[in-house]
Amino acid sequence: MADPAEVLPLLVVVVLLMTASGQHPDRMTVHFDGDRQVTQVEEVLVVGGGRATIPAEASSNGTVYVVGGEFRVRGEFDGDVTQLAGNVSVADGGGIAGEFQTVAGNASIAPGAAIGSRSRVQFVQREASPVADWGFLAVQALGLAIVGALLTRRRPELLRNVGDSIVHHSVVSTVVGAFTGATALALFVFMAFTLILIPVSLFGMAVGLLSVGYSSLAYGYLVGQRLPIDQQDLSAGVGTAAFVVGLDLLGRVPLLGAVAQFLLVVTGLGAVLITYYGFREFEPALSRGAD
Amino acid sequence: MRFVTYARRREWTPMLGYGLFVGFMAVGYYYNVTFVQLGLLDLGTRLVGMTEEQVSLWMAALALLTLFVAVVSGVTMDRKAWSSDLLVKFRLLFGVVALQLVLTLVAPWIRTVPAFGAWILAGSVALGVGIPASFGLAIDLVPVEDRGYVSAAITALAYFTANVYPLDWQIEVFSAVMVTAMVPGVAALGVLASGRVGPVNRVVARLADQHDEFGVGRFCRGESGPVRTRSVAFWGPVVLMFGVFFVDSLGFLRIIETPSFVLNAWQSPEFSDHLAIGVVHVASALVAGVLYTNFERNWLFLWVFGLFSLTHLFYTTDVRTAAWFPQLAGGPASPLNSAVYAVAVSFYTTLNFALWPDLSTPETIGTHTAVGVGLAGWLATFLSTALALYFETAEVTLLSHLNVVNALALLLFTGLVVAIYLRRLISAARSTDPSSGVRR
Repeated sequence: MADPAEVLPLLVVVVLLMTASGQHPDRMTVHFDGDRQVTQVEEVLVVGGGRATIPAEASSNGTVYVVGGEFRVRGEFDGDVTQLAGNVSVADGGGIAGEFQTVAGNASIAPGAAIGSRSRVQFVQREASPVADWGFLAVQALGLAIVGALLTRRRPELLRNVGDSIVHHSVVSTVVGAFTGATALALFVFMAFTLILIPVSLFGMAVGLLSVGYSSLAYGYLVGQRLPIDQQDLSAGVGTAAFVVGLDLLGRVPLLGAVAQFLLVVTGLGAVLITYYGFREFEPALSRGAD
Repeated sequence: MRFVTYARRREWTPMLGYGLFVGFMAVGYYYNVTFVQLGLLDLGTRLVGMTEEQVSLWMAALALLTLFVAVVSGVTMDRKAWSSDLLVKFRLLFGVVALQLVLTLVAPWIRTVPAFGAWILAGSVALGVGIPASFGLAIDLVPVEDRGYVSAAITALAYFTANVYPLDWQIEVFSAVMVTAMVPGVAALGVLASGRVGPVNRVVARLADQHDEFGVGRFCRGESGPVRTRSVAFWGPVVLMFGVFFVDSLGFLRIIETPSFVLNAWQSPEFSDHLAIGVVHVASALVAGVLYTNFERNWLFLWVFGLFSLTHLFYTTDVRTAAWFPQLAGGPASPLNSAVYAVAVSFYTTLNFALWPDLSTPETIGTHTAVGVGLAGWLATFLSTALALYFETAEVTLLSHLNVVNALALLLFTGLVVAIYLRRLISAARSTDPSSGVRR
């Protein structure tokens, strides 16, 4: 039996690939368990589990996606095979007339097998270059520092309000940031699975990242206030750059660094949310009296 | 937090008040969600031999009688000023817990329908009197600014215990555990209520004075003054809370009958699954406590409806996936479903414990808690149970059933957003001079 948690995301990828290549998902047949002899493919066959075999004497055409289980070719298959996971084997005398593309999973091609064209998507993990790492960090710090300085010059109250919440309402900010972050993340992932809502999901993720970036400016503003620089915008800019670099360095401390990073990020996010991006000063409901 | 101040000053008596309230309410809630909701169903079907439908009718009678007794006793408490007398409330609670102890003890020996009916009658008297008497303790024992956190502690304690120490859903098991827990409780209440133990009397007297300071709830402190029983300010939350209980109960009744949804959650053989749900309950109750204290109550309701919508969206997606790919069905559902459900339940339970005292004063706490808890809690649960039974009789599919629940949650969420917006719109329109268009 295929594991739904593993197969479902890959099925979503298959549907996306089919849509991109002009095939309709309605024409898709999915094989999940058991042993099946495939003599005829109804346009698109997805192997998600179990075993699907094109017998030695058979000849069929269509498109096959393998996302789990095993796909064996003993006869002739006149079409394309895309392997995202699982196992594919082509026996002596068997063949795939179209393209056999492997993204992930294990493939075994016998010496006597005939393959139209074969390609493998290579995911090469580049060696981390310290120069590139520090360069990216520097660009990030500089970019945010400029934004922080400009924002402080034009609307200093925005970052001040967010900063005040970080300092004076840290528990509420942390709780709101962590809770909203967790539920929003679950919601956006869920939205992506519906396919239709992928743009909304991506937009939501982007807004979330921008909000986290915005909170860095507020932290920078707070750091800047503690620097011996009179000019407010300059101090906010320098503070932001220092915060971004400091946050990155913090992440390099094993375990505790990541925890501290997480707390800073969620607290900042929460402070941004409860102050409406700094447009309002946060005041706890109880101190406002009745609501 | 006032509790921290008390701790710093070593003021043990008010701190004891917190402990008493959390203890009473957590044990009482645990009793309701286990013994009353699950134990009676087992007693009626397995030992008395009734059908589930017949037991549900008796449960409906229990809910209605409890509502009636609660309202009568709540109004009486307010009229006779018992609501602001801590000793009277302790005495009422002593009577309630003593009666419940006897009822809990005899329940496993009931074998006939008339005996079951008599149990229901006596049980609803105990529960009905218990609601205003127990919720009414908040005005003596818990400062207004700490009610969110105290409610969170009650919720966390009740649900953590219920999940981490799961019992077989059988009346004999429930009875044995409850009696063991209730005996010391009755003894402690007896001492508190007796008025004959000097040091205890001084503690009770000190706690009883606190309602002068803690009595007026958070939502009664604005310019408009105390919330009146006949006002929208009171009935609005009652309707919303009714919706919350209704949505929860209607969905949960079907979920617990679906093996793939419960076998890796509430009825899992794995301790880690129970622990995970318990921890989620605790964490989300604490989050709810912080949010309740720092935001307007409507935000909490929005969160609750939003969370229920999300939960049922997850469940219906599981059902749809199983319908599309039948080969994938049969395995356990995603643990995310039960986790989000636990968050939603902890949120509204926390809200429920804090809301009614905060909508009350010492003069209205009996009536408000009786109407609030009785209508929103008991009646909503009874009505949703009846609807769930009707769905079952009408052979409504799992997907359709959960779709209805999801639609209700979304409707309440949207309705609340619209209501908040309209209220602000009307308020803005009223504050604008119609002739000049200038704000007054």
